[in-house]
Amino acid sequence: MGLETQQGSKTQTALATEAIVEEGRYVYCVADAAEKVSLGKLGIEGQKVYTIPYRDICAVVHDCPAQPYQSDDQQVVKAWVMTHQKVVDAVWEKWGTVLPLSFDTIIRGEAEKSAKQNVKDWLKQEYERLKSKIGEVRGKAEYGVQVFWNPKFAAQNLAQTSPEIRNLEEEIKTKPKGLAYMYRQRLGNLVKREMETKADECFKDFYGRIRKHADNIRVEKTKTAGQGLQMIMNLSCLVYRDRYSELGKELDKINRMEGFSVRFTGPWPPYSFVGGA
Amino acid sequence: MEPIRNSHATLVDLLDRVLDKGLVINADLIISLAGVPLIGVNLRAALAGMETMLKYGVMKDWDERTRAWESEHRKKNVEPICTGYCYLDRTSR
Repeated sequence: MGLETQQGSKTQTALATEAIVEEGRYVYCVADAAEKVSLGKLGIEGQKVYTIPYRDICAVVHDCPAQPYQSDDQQVVKAWVMTHQKVVDAVWEKWGTVLPLSFDTIIRGEAEKSAKQNVKDWLKQEYERLKSKIGEVRGKAEYGVQVFWNPKFAAQNLAQTSPEIRNLEEEIKTKPKGLAYMYRQRLGNLVKREMETKADECFKDFYGRIRKHADNIRVEKTKTAGQGLQMIMNLSCLVYRDRYSELGKELDKINRMEGFSVRFTGPWPPYSFVGGA
Repeated sequence: MEPIRNSHATLVDLLDRVLDKGLVINADLIISLAGVPLIGVNLRAALAGMETMLKYGVMKDWDERTRAWESEHRKKNVEPICTGYCYLDRTSR
């Protein structure tokens, strides 16, 4: 009888340990607030979102098992991602400054330490770094700026303005077929080179003009663009929230240039300016 | 011009940020997310009908050079922003 009881309690302990290991906290963001509050059931899949404070900052979390949210259903994933963003937005609006985390960041518990304690300890350990990041983004928002050009338009322009290209084109007309083919290849290379030089000039020009209105800039990889356009610039700009209209005016000027167009998005929480060390 | 932000037109911009960026937590505290970024990529491709990776075309080298230029430039101009404009001299090219 006594032995059975002992075994029974052992099993209980094992179960309790397992339960701690398997719990986690989904972290949405770190906010510039000392409050310990519930924000209601606005989390992923209706989870209750609340804060875990440490000194004058807090992590915004919900309780979850220590396993990533995964699904093959894209609508489901899309809904999760949108909800993540809605929570970050709500916190941003409430407390003015947030350090957003990317989707699906879950702090786990350990055998000896609960997930909640791990969140607290993380805030404690990283406190100085988090505070300094909060300082860097306070009062600012992130804006996306993408500049496109029409490569056909740019190439035509070059053909008209570059004497080297014009001469080569003239020469081709006088050459016999086989030789003309080789000249055309040379022309192709020349146009490509000059296009790159031109894109370079545009990039540096636009970069300088945009830089004046941004507190910080990240240059992102350019992407494939549709509709016969080519993206020559993809920036994330950290801008004082009351100064974005000046950036907008500068972008207007670029957008009005023939053969160029600008895409201006935001305001986003400062996702691109809180990563790294 | 005014910045745009709505769930349809700027979905890709949102995904770029929410899936790839944000504050980093040291790896030993967070659960392994192997496979999750893949979901992100598939999701983006399917939802937005566009490729998310840089499609290396004629401008590949140019793109890399440009970003290298910017990062060099960043090192040389550590002071904050908004004030100076002197770096844009063509002599640096």
